[in-house]
Amino acid sequence: MRVVPSQMYSDLLANLQADRQNVNLAVEQASSGKSIANLSDNPLAAGQLVLSNAQIADLDQFSYSISTVQGSLNTADSALNSVVGSLTQAGGTLSSTELQALGQQVDQVLQQVVGLANTTYQGNYVFAGTAVKQQPYNSSGVYAGNSSVNSVEVGEGQTVSLGLSGSAIFGAPSAAGQPDLTFQYLSNLSSDIKAGDYNAITADITNVQSSLNNVIAQRSSYGDILQQLNSDSTNLSQQKLTLQQYQTNLIGVDEAQVATNLTQSQTTLEAAIAAASRVSQDSLINYLK
Amino acid sequence: MGSLLGTLSIATQALNVDQGALEVTSNNIANANTPGYSREQAILESAPTVTEGNIAYGQGVTLAHVQGIRDQVVELGVQQGLQQQGQINSYLDSMSQLQSLFNEAQGAGLQTPLSNFFNSLQSLSTDPTNLSLRQAVISAGQTLASVFNQASAGLAGIQSQLNQTIPQAVGQVNQLTQQIAQINGQIQSAQSSGANPNQLIDQRNQLVEQLSGLVGVNSTDAGDGTVTLTTANGALLVAGRQSYTLTTGKNASGNVDVFSQGADITSSLSGGSLGGDIQARDQGVASAQSNLDSLAAGLISAVNAQQTAGYDLNGNPGLNFFKPLSGNSSAGAAAAMSINLTDPSQIAASSSSTAQGDNSNALALANIENQTIVSGQTATEYYSNFVAGIGTEVQQATNQQTAQNLVVQQMQNQKASISGVSLDEESANLIQYQTAYAAAARVVNVISQLAQMAITLGQGG
Repeated sequence: MRVVPSQMYSDLLANLQADRQNVNLAVEQASSGKSIANLSDNPLAAGQLVLSNAQIADLDQFSYSISTVQGSLNTADSALNSVVGSLTQAGGTLSSTELQALGQQVDQVLQQVVGLANTTYQGNYVFAGTAVKQQPYNSSGVYAGNSSVNSVEVGEGQTVSLGLSGSAIFGAPSAAGQPDLTFQYLSNLSSDIKAGDYNAITADITNVQSSLNNVIAQRSSYGDILQQLNSDSTNLSQQKLTLQQYQTNLIGVDEAQVATNLTQSQTTLEAAIAAASRVSQDSLINYLK
Repeated sequence: MGSLLGTLSIATQALNVDQGALEVTSNNIANANTPGYSREQAILESAPTVTEGNIAYGQGVTLAHVQGIRDQVVELGVQQGLQQQGQINSYLDSMSQLQSLFNEAQGAGLQTPLSNFFNSLQSLSTDPTNLSLRQAVISAGQTLASVFNQASAGLAGIQSQLNQTIPQAVGQVNQLTQQIAQINGQIQSAQSSGANPNQLIDQRNQLVEQLSGLVGVNSTDAGDGTVTLTTANGALLVAGRQSYTLTTGKNASGNVDVFSQGADITSSLSGGSLGGDIQARDQGVASAQSNLDSLAAGLISAVNAQQTAGYDLNGNPGLNFFKPLSGNSSAGAAAAMSINLTDPSQIAASSSSTAQGDNSNALALANIENQTIVSGQTATEYYSNFVAGIGTEVQQATNQQTAQNLVVQQMQNQKASISGVSLDEESANLIQYQTAYAAAARVVNVISQLAQMAITLGQGG
C-alpha cells in the first residue's frame, strides 16, 4: 500500500483524539466518583438507578410515617394509662360508709374517664375512630364516633392499624344510643351506691373490674403497635443501607480501577504525542542535489 | 533508413516529453496538500514506428495524456461512508440533548417529583385532616405537572430546532447540486474537446462529498463525463447539466417536510445530516414525546379516578385532581398536565362522606405508585424503562458513530493511498525525468557534433 503524508497526519489526529477522550473519561470518573455521567454510559444501571431511588424515597417516607403516628399513639397510650388509674380508684373507694360522698366520687371518676376518652392529638380525637373531628363521648358516655380505624403503610405492602376505636376499648353497648359499657357500669355503680343497694353494688364492682381488665388488655395492644413500629423503623434503615450499597455498586467507581485507567490512558496519550512529534519531516526530496 | 535529422527530432521530442512529465511532477508536488487533489501521471507512449523495407524504426516518445489517478469504487465508498457518518452525527447530536433532559445519573428527571408526589399522599394518610399535609400534596402535584410540562417543552424545543435546521440543510443541498450540475457541463465540454478535466473532476468529487455529508445520494456515471445524482429513494438531484431543487414546507403538525418536484420525500430521505435530523425529529424525539405523554396520561387518569372515588375534607365527593385529558388520545398530555384542585381541603383522603379522619382513599391514592397504570407497568417502572431505553438508543448511536468514523477514516486512507501525492514518489519521478532529460540533451549534443562532422566531412584536416 502506498503511504502518503496526508494519511499519516489524519490517522495521527484521530488516534490523539481517541486517547484524549480516554483520559477525559478517566478524569471525569475519578473526580465525580460516578461511573456514569450520561444515561448512555450504562443504560441498564440508569434504569435500575431510577427504581432504587424510588425505593429509597419510599423507605424514607415509611420512616417518616412511623415517626408521625408514634406521636398520636403515645398520646392515646398515656390517656389509657390514666383511665386505668381512675378505674382502679373507683374500685378502691368502696370501703367507705358515707354513701353519698362515695357516689359523688364515682361520678367524678366517670367524668374523668369521659374526659380522657375525648383526648385529642393535634386537634383530632384519638378515640373517635375515623370521625376525628367529632367529639366521641358525651357526659354520660354515649359513643358518637365510628368503629373504623385508619391504617398507615410502614413498609412495602405492610400496614399498621392506628390504635382502636373508643367502643373497642370501653365496650360497645348492647343497644344503640346507650353509653359504652365502662361508662354504663360506672354510672350504675354510682346510682346503686347512692341508693344503698349492696347486692347490686357487688355486681357493679365486678363489672367495673372487668372493664378495667379490658382497658388494660387493649392498652397493651398500643404497646405492641409501638414496639412493632420501632422494629419496622430499624428494618427500614437496614433496607435503605442495602439499597444505597446497591447503588454504589451500580454507578460508583472502583477507585483503584479508575486510577489505573487514568495512568494507562495518560501513558498512551503521551506516547502518541511523542510519536507525532517524531513523524519524519524527511522525504527523498531533501536528498536531491 | 535512419537520418541524423530524424534522430535529432526524436531527441528534441524526448526533451519536450520529459519537460511535460516534469511539469506534471511539479504540479503534483505543488498540490501535495490540496484537499481533494488526485495525483496525475504523465502517460508516455512510444511513437508509431516507421517501416522502411523490412526495418521498423522507432520514432521516439510522445506524451499521450495526463491521467488523474483515482478509483471510482473507493470514491463511492468514501461518499457512502460520509453519508452514514453525517446521519449518525446529527442524530446523535439531537439524542444527546434528549438524554440530558432525563439525566437521572445527575439527579435530573421525573423520578424525584414522582416519588415526592406519592410520598406526600403517604404523609397525608398519617394525619388525613392536616391542612399543611394537604397543601404539601397540592404542591407536589403542581411540581410533578410542571416537570412533565418542562420535559415535554424540552422535547418540543429539540424538534423546533430541527425544523429550523432542515430548511438550512436543504438550501445547502440546492446550492451544491447547482454547482455540481455546472461542473458536469464543464467536464462534458472539456471531454468532447479533448481537454484534460482532471481538476474539474476533483472539484466535483469534493462537492459530492460535501453533499454526502448533508444527504444520502446515489451517484451514477452517465458515460459522457457527467454524473447523475439521486436521493436514496430515487428523487432526481442532478442530471447532466441540470439540477433539481428540493423545497421545504410546513405540514399540518408544524413540522417541516421536504419536497422534490412537488412530491413529499421526507420519510424516505436518509443519510447525511438531513437524514439524521429527520430521523431524530420523526423517530427519536417523537417516540420519547409519545412515551412521556402515555406516562402523563396514565397518571392523570389513575389519580383522577381514585380521587373522584373518595370524599374531601367537607364530605363532598372528590373533584378531579389533575385537569382531565381532552378526548381519548394521550397526545399532548405531558404538555397540558396541570392541577385541577384549588384548595387543599378538596383532596379526597376519605372513603366516607361522614368520617373526615378516614385515610383509606389517601392510602389508595398513594398506592397508585404500585399500580400498573401505563402499558402494564407502574409509573416508576415505565419511567425506568423509558430512561434505560433512551440511554440504550444513545449508546448504540455512539457505538455506531465510533465504528462509522473508523470506516470513513479507512476509506479516506484508501483513497489517499491511491490518489494522494507521495513526495518520495514525486522525487523519484523528478530524478527519473531529469536523468531522461539530461540524456536526451546529451543525444542532441552528440547529433550536433555528428552534424558538424558531416558538414566538415571531406574538407580535409
